[in-house]
Amino acid sequence: MQNPSGILLQRVTVEIAVALVAAVAGAIICYGSLEIGTGWGDAGPQSGYFPFYIGLSIVIASCCVLIESVIEQRRRQQVFLTREQGHRILTFFLPMLGFVAGAMVLGLYVSLGLYLFGVMTIQGKYRIGKALAVCLSTIVTFYFVFEKWFQVPLLKGPLEALLKIY
Amino acid sequence: MENFGNLMDGFVIVFSFYHFAIMAAGVLLGILVGVLPGLGAPNGVSLLIPLTFTMDPISAIILLTSMYWGALFGGSTTSILFNIPGEPSSVATTFDGYPMAQQGKATQALTLAFMSAGVGALFGVTVITVLSGWVTQFALKFSSPEFFAVYLLTFCSFIGMGSSSPFKAVVSMMLGFAFAAVGMDGMAGNMRLTFGITELIKGISFLVAVIGLFGIGELLLTMEEGLRFDGIHARIKIRDVWQAILSLPRYWVTLLRSALVGCWMGITPGGPTAASFMSYGLAKRFARKKDGFGKGEPAGVVAPETADHAAGTCAILPMLALGVPGSATAAVMMGGLMIWGLTPGPMLFIERPDFVWSTIASMYMGNVMAVVLVLATVPLFAAILRIPFSIIGPMIVVVCFIGAYQISGARLDLWLALVFGIAGYLLKKLDYPIAPMVLAMVLGDKTEDAFRQSMIFSKGSLGIFWTNSTLVATIMTLALLLLFWPLIGSVVRRLRQAVAAAPAAR
Repeated sequence: MQNPSGILLQRVTVEIAVALVAAVAGAIICYGSLEIGTGWGDAGPQSGYFPFYIGLSIVIASCCVLIESVIEQRRRQQVFLTREQGHRILTFFLPMLGFVAGAMVLGLYVSLGLYLFGVMTIQGKYRIGKALAVCLSTIVTFYFVFEKWFQVPLLKGPLEALLKIY
Repeated sequence: MENFGNLMDGFVIVFSFYHFAIMAAGVLLGILVGVLPGLGAPNGVSLLIPLTFTMDPISAIILLTSMYWGALFGGSTTSILFNIPGEPSSVATTFDGYPMAQQGKATQALTLAFMSAGVGALFGVTVITVLSGWVTQFALKFSSPEFFAVYLLTFCSFIGMGSSSPFKAVVSMMLGFAFAAVGMDGMAGNMRLTFGITELIKGISFLVAVIGLFGIGELLLTMEEGLRFDGIHARIKIRDVWQAILSLPRYWVTLLRSALVGCWMGITPGGPTAASFMSYGLAKRFARKKDGFGKGEPAGVVAPETADHAAGTCAILPMLALGVPGSATAAVMMGGLMIWGLTPGPMLFIERPDFVWSTIASMYMGNVMAVVLVLATVPLFAAILRIPFSIIGPMIVVVCFIGAYQISGARLDLWLALVFGIAGYLLKKLDYPIAPMVLAMVLGDKTEDAFRQSMIFSKGSLGIFWTNSTLVATIMTLALLLLFWPLIGSVVRRLRQAVAAAPAAR
């Protein structure tokens, strides 16, 4: 079905990358534990005792995963991501990233409105009026559900401050 | 019969309009969450927990458990109508459910699924009712070494019994423990693994991890596949419903077998997903005509559904009685219990019998209500899936992130949810099991405390895990056996092959 040129990533590449990241994370945990002491203190095992061995076992196990996946690779080659799949992932992921980054500056309400509006008009090819109606009604609904009904305030930005909504 | 009396007390507490309303709301939200791609039961329950902070624990647990039942039912609906399992545990339902729907028997398939799920769930709750007193008696003998042994057994069974590479299970689980360790050390009172980031002092919430791993990660996976809903229009005909209900007793052997498999897998941490696959496999093996399976055999719907729900309900028992959840969703609920200020474990039965028994009572009622509600609302929820994804997709994303923010109102949690999302996507694609990580995040501190307390008792000797009592020795040995099961299994296989090869060589 898929032509070889359509392959973006081989599975083994990703396997190795993830195993390496895990191993590094394990090493960082070991380092962090060593800082606070991994031995036996006045009140039994010190804070770093348990995490140190956790970190150590992450390093060992991810090395085993690494070896395992290299051996597996010799037996059969698997594709992790085709070009088409990569494209689909990015068109979903990038707007989501924009939403989170936007929420840091503009607050959740404004950011979610922009996000929804953008995806609906650009990817969903909706007319601007319809998209605007959906966005505004979503914001209002969320506002009443969270702020009024459940009384859990969401992250707000400069616009809410301007409108004096807290 | 003491359990029975307690159960009646539970019914009396639950029997109020307010609790019924909460139950209905929970079930409906659960169905919604189960139907929508990317939002599963663990994730849905995580999203609801921040909203329960102001509720009393009984109402809160009713809301969460009802949502769980709803999500299980919702997952089966999409499996049958759209060939898209809304939940991992309803994958096996697609094998025969979707073909049945294609043949125009959607109503029968749905009714059979819901009814057998209901039977499985009620069977599960009955098992809980009968066993809980006994398990608590057993658990009251526990002290730190025993608790550590039980936790170890839980984790080892994930490594030894999992379908993927045991090393991957170890990596995933240990990362979970590491995340749980971040922040304040409960025993010594100092900070650890925060690396100078002040926002990490409060630790990494397992709820954020669940929302990222199960919610965002699942959505990314769904997107990659290119989402297409080739739904079958369902119109529920009352006559077909009755016919399907009347045909149910014919499958009593399958029902009983699947319910037993489900209960076993639910109490031991096999979980609903493993239970449904196992039960489907068994139903196929014992069937008189095997050809029908995969082409719309009703027993192929009954078996996984019964086991799925029996396991789902039974997973609550070890959570309440031992503080060891049997599934990812139960792990999240247990986290909720701890947030409400309750300590899961045997003492809960003694200190808060009202809570425990009204939870169990609500499970009977919630499941009955869920069967009725799901049958009544199938067309509505099927219609939701026909809303274009460019609207529903961003909505799901927004709800996930709002849920992550609400847990403690921290900006960092939004980024963490995103990172966990990417991690969830990668890990799932590479067949790393996710459930052990969540379980480790919830149980991490308790496991560590149990271990450190045991070490203090024994002045640093690991021998305490064998000498403290015969109970702890048995559990520890069992745990190590499970841990090395993949190794033992392969050695046995090699030996057998060698024995088989020897005469052939001659």
